[in-house]
Amino acid sequence: MNRYGFRQAARMERIKLGSVRSTWWLAIAAVVSMAAAGAGVGLGYRSHTPVATAAQILNNSLGGAIVAQLLLGALGVLMVTGEYGSGMIRSTFAAVPRRRTVLAAKVAVCGGAALTVGLVASFAGYLGGQLAIRGTAIPAAALTDPAILRAVVLTGVYLGATALIGVGIGAIVRHSGAAIGTLFGLMFVPMIVAGLFGESGIQVGRFVPLLMLLNSIAVTSPVPGLFAGWGSALLMCGYAAAAVLCGGVLLRHRDA
Amino acid sequence: MIELRELTKRYGGRVAVDGLSVRVQPGVVTGFLGPNGSGKSTTMRMILGLDAPDQGEALIGGVRYQDLGWPLKTVGALLDAGAFHPGRSARAHLSALAASNDIPGSRVEQVLRVVGLSDAATRRAGTYSLGMRQRLGVAVALLGDPGVLLLDEPVNGLDPEGIRWIRDLLRGLAAEGRTVFVSSHLIAEMALTADRLVVIGRGRLLAETTVAELAAGGDSLEDAFFRLTSEATDYRGVGAS
Ligand SMILES: Nc1ncnc2c1ncn2[C@@H]1O[C@H](COP(=O)(O)OP(=O)(O)O)[C@@H](O)[C@H]1O
Ligand SMILES: [Mg+2]
Repeated sequence: MNRYGFRQAARMERIKLGSVRSTWWLAIAAVVSMAAAGAGVGLGYRSHTPVATAAQILNNSLGGAIVAQLLLGALGVLMVTGEYGSGMIRSTFAAVPRRRTVLAAKVAVCGGAALTVGLVASFAGYLGGQLAIRGTAIPAAALTDPAILRAVVLTGVYLGATALIGVGIGAIVRHSGAAIGTLFGLMFVPMIVAGLFGESGIQVGRFVPLLMLLNSIAVTSPVPGLFAGWGSALLMCGYAAAAVLCGGVLLRHRDA
Repeated sequence: MIELRELTKRYGGRVAVDGLSVRVQPGVVTGFLGPNGSGKSTTMRMILGLDAPDQGEALIGGVRYQDLGWPLKTVGALLDAGAFHPGRSARAHLSALAASNDIPGSRVEQVLRVVGLSDAATRRAGTYSLGMRQRLGVAVALLGDPGVLLLDEPVNGLDPEGIRWIRDLLRGLAAEGRTVFVSSHLIAEMALTADRLVVIGRGRLLAETTVAELAAGGDSLEDAFFRLTSEATDYRGVGAS
């Protein structure tokens, strides 16, 4: 072979991602926050009357994803802005001058890592909830139930997609604080706006990430009016693709 | 060989580099000399494809940097100290860059030894002194055993011993037939390190000369440098003649 390509760039990104502490802290915090939220929900429902349903426990015990999405979103953002802030980006582009190869490698490595962590975190939330209700009359939710498994897996996918939205916003904004602020704003502001529409809010709300998470993705059966879980998850992946493409277009023409 | 052709860069209407045409030959150390703000770093960034020129082009062995197959094996660059993530160890930083150009891991250990960072290799680079950061930058430049070396103010922050180390290193690399292009705003340092000199001021080429020629002018090297750049200095302290 007479030139570098995606494979080399991906190896570089994998080493870079694994060799800063923030990666590990954010990943651990995402898993712990979901496990804790799951366990907290389970404990809260233990002595609840009437006896909670399996769906109630599951839906609520995946609620830690609200925090996990911010942590993994920040992970994606930092993968790009951490380089601009430190000057590392110049070393990176000097090593791999084709910038969209760098971005593609970041997307692949970050996406793979965040999906893995997201799935682990989502499972930890489920498990936390289930362990906390053991010995009560509340029926257990088994992963062999397709509706339960779908909710757990799609929540992991949602978290992975959020990290990639972070990568895209990072490439567009390039400044850590501003990019994380933008990401958080995009997560919460549309939800508030959708609330202002009142009755017809659902028409807007089904496109809003956080509402999709809480009412369509991380639940056994979606709230009427929203897309099915997989539809919402796909939409999130679409948002991620759009953010990354915007970042890729800008990356090409701007001075590093 | 590095060839700059009418290289021009503006930042919001201000010209940072102005129609710069220079050839940098292999086998000698070429000093890139100019006062602060004269456009040295901007030129270096354009050679590396980091900043896009508004006009003109920079070629390395006839090829634009963006078109190099294995950039790190062709050109080694030391940019302003700190082109690394402060939370990453020197070894991880070098390993990541090595992986991007299929450079073996053994080479990482080798350059760590050459720059004297083997013992500090697992420490986070953010904890390094300025001199150690420069050494890490030099390690990056040497990583791919390149035929062309670009160093932007490599002696900044180094102690006298470090300065001599850089000087001997650069002269050795040039003696092996490599192209060595090193910027500085210190004529006294360049006089000891460089054979040829490219002098710029306000982004324009002022002289392409040798240290010997500059010294032959009769006055001191420093006076000769001030004479060359006096018309083209942005910021000067009151009282400087
Ligand atoms: N990214 C930038 N944006 C705006 N102006 C810049 C930028 N980089 C450099 N400049 C300006 O361009 C000129 C040349 O700067 P530089 O290349 O850093 O000079 P030197 O390295 O010789 O000190 C200076 O006036 C500087 O302020
Ligand atoms: Mg400079």
